[in-house]
Amino acid sequence: MIETRCYVIALHDNGRVAEETYETAAFARRYVAADPCVVVLSGGGEIEPLAGRLADRTGLTVIGLAGDIVREYCAEAYTASLISFLRKKGNAFVCIPHTARGIDFAPQLSVGIGACCITAVEGAGEGTFIRSVYSGRFRSEVRPETPSAVLTVMPGAFKPEKGAMQGPGSVKIVPLRAFELSTKTRGTREAVHANMTLSRAEVVVSAGRGLGSAENLRLVEMLSGIFPKSAIGATRGVCDLGWLDYSHQIGTTGNTVAPRLYLACGISGAVQHVSGMKNSQLIVAINTDPDASIFRTAHFGIVEDLKVFIPLLVDMYREKHGDGDA
Amino acid sequence: MKILVCVKQVYDSPDTLVFNESSGRVEFGSHTVFRMNRYDEYAVEEALRIRERITGVAVDAVSVGPDRVRKTIRRALEMGADHGIHIRTGCETDLDPLERAHLIASLARGRRYDLILTGVMAEDDMQSQVGGLLAGILGFTCATGIISLEMHGNPREILLEREIEGGRRECLTLGFPCVLTIQSGINTPRYPSLSHVLRARSEELELIEAPSPAPSPPLLSVKRFLLPEEGEKGEIITGTPGEKAARLLSILREHSLL
Repeated sequence: MIETRCYVIALHDNGRVAEETYETAAFARRYVAADPCVVVLSGGGEIEPLAGRLADRTGLTVIGLAGDIVREYCAEAYTASLISFLRKKGNAFVCIPHTARGIDFAPQLSVGIGACCITAVEGAGEGTFIRSVYSGRFRSEVRPETPSAVLTVMPGAFKPEKGAMQGPGSVKIVPLRAFELSTKTRGTREAVHANMTLSRAEVVVSAGRGLGSAENLRLVEMLSGIFPKSAIGATRGVCDLGWLDYSHQIGTTGNTVAPRLYLACGISGAVQHVSGMKNSQLIVAINTDPDASIFRTAHFGIVEDLKVFIPLLVDMYREKHGDGDA
Repeated sequence: MKILVCVKQVYDSPDTLVFNESSGRVEFGSHTVFRMNRYDEYAVEEALRIRERITGVAVDAVSVGPDRVRKTIRRALEMGADHGIHIRTGCETDLDPLERAHLIASLARGRRYDLILTGVMAEDDMQSQVGGLLAGILGFTCATGIISLEMHGNPREILLEREIEGGRRECLTLGFPCVLTIQSGINTPRYPSLSHVLRARSEELELIEAPSPAPSPPLLSVKRFLLPEEGEKGEIITGTPGEKAARLLSILREHSLL
């Protein structure tokens, strides 16, 4: 425990608090300060219910920064408002969920308050924080050398606390000063690539770059073919290469799936991918690289060349089932 | 319009990294091959596409690191960037994102860039920080994870879409100057054309020596590197390929999946 002043920045969308906010609050209480404050930014009408909900669930003091400039999420408005709020408070650790929005303003905020910035924190030691590096092959343990720090906390790395043990926390609303923004927000658009087949499938067979080439996708199709309600998924890397279109993408910025079986073929196991499939009931990974981090997520791992192993597996299955289609 | 693209050189494959038990550091092995961070390739491509659409655009590419990063700057020139800048550091090991951002900011300050582009993150340290830090230091606005970028005519603003969770997109308009971090998939990075490769070969890179030691001490220290936590691994099925296949089939049957 660092025992310093600590602020948890709440993120929310359409009046709903992002679950990662509660994970970040739990992290802050466990490793940074026993009694952090939660800060939530929103427009006048929405701020009280949001702050009230946060106070009820966390039992922590909640500060609502209210103003029209933060009615919608906007990095520029968030950064400037938080800098002016935090500068008055002296040294502090600021904990933010490591989501697309959290990471959008965290580094600028750190510059503005003279803090160090540590992103994607997934663990902590004695005054140190642990994050994955080198494609998840290693972790690095880093120590802030400044009295202030901005930390972004990896989604799923810490469990939210169950209910407020000490009863609801107090709420304080602080009006924000308006100022001219260079940013104009224009709302959000729903996912272009939502894939219903993937979300309904009982079995998802997914392809990673380790497949080697687009031609080898037939192996994934072959394997998927032995399961009745299956669909084909992919990592972002595979979609970026154009082997499959983005509707197949699984991960932070793609589809999130939780099928009965997830078969990861040639997937290294980058955190962005894993966050989209880690709740699958059974995870099996096949990869030539025994050190691939996907083997830490998988319940069962097989170190084999996909080009050899998949045809063998499918043949053995068909022999047993007398399936003559092959 | 002046555009600066920040490109980072990373290892081609993490397989070639070596954990030095005595120093507790991760080192490059003798087989380590280096290339441009993939996310930065999308940033270079996006800069070139802006130059194709709008007249009077110049694209500079910069990288921070030891002499080996010159190859990555050259790659940006081969793709079509107009000018390459190497900020040379003495150390082989990775710099802190803030040190990196300060070095790039001190270059950018005098050159009046309208737009600074970089990848959404580096594949090696996965920090996603340099873009935002640069914006903070220079006082530019910043948007991250850009998946769509539009500019028309004599642009005074850019129409952008950022990718957020679940493939949703946040739409916004930014004025200049700004820093954008580019998400993969926004475009298809080109392969260098022969004429650009030949041109890049004769092109001089601008060399700037990074002050050593850095003017301000780093704000954080790397205590050590750790291997991934033990005991987290699931069961690795062993045996001949046939035995592994038989075992997997029986596991799938036990779970009533087949």
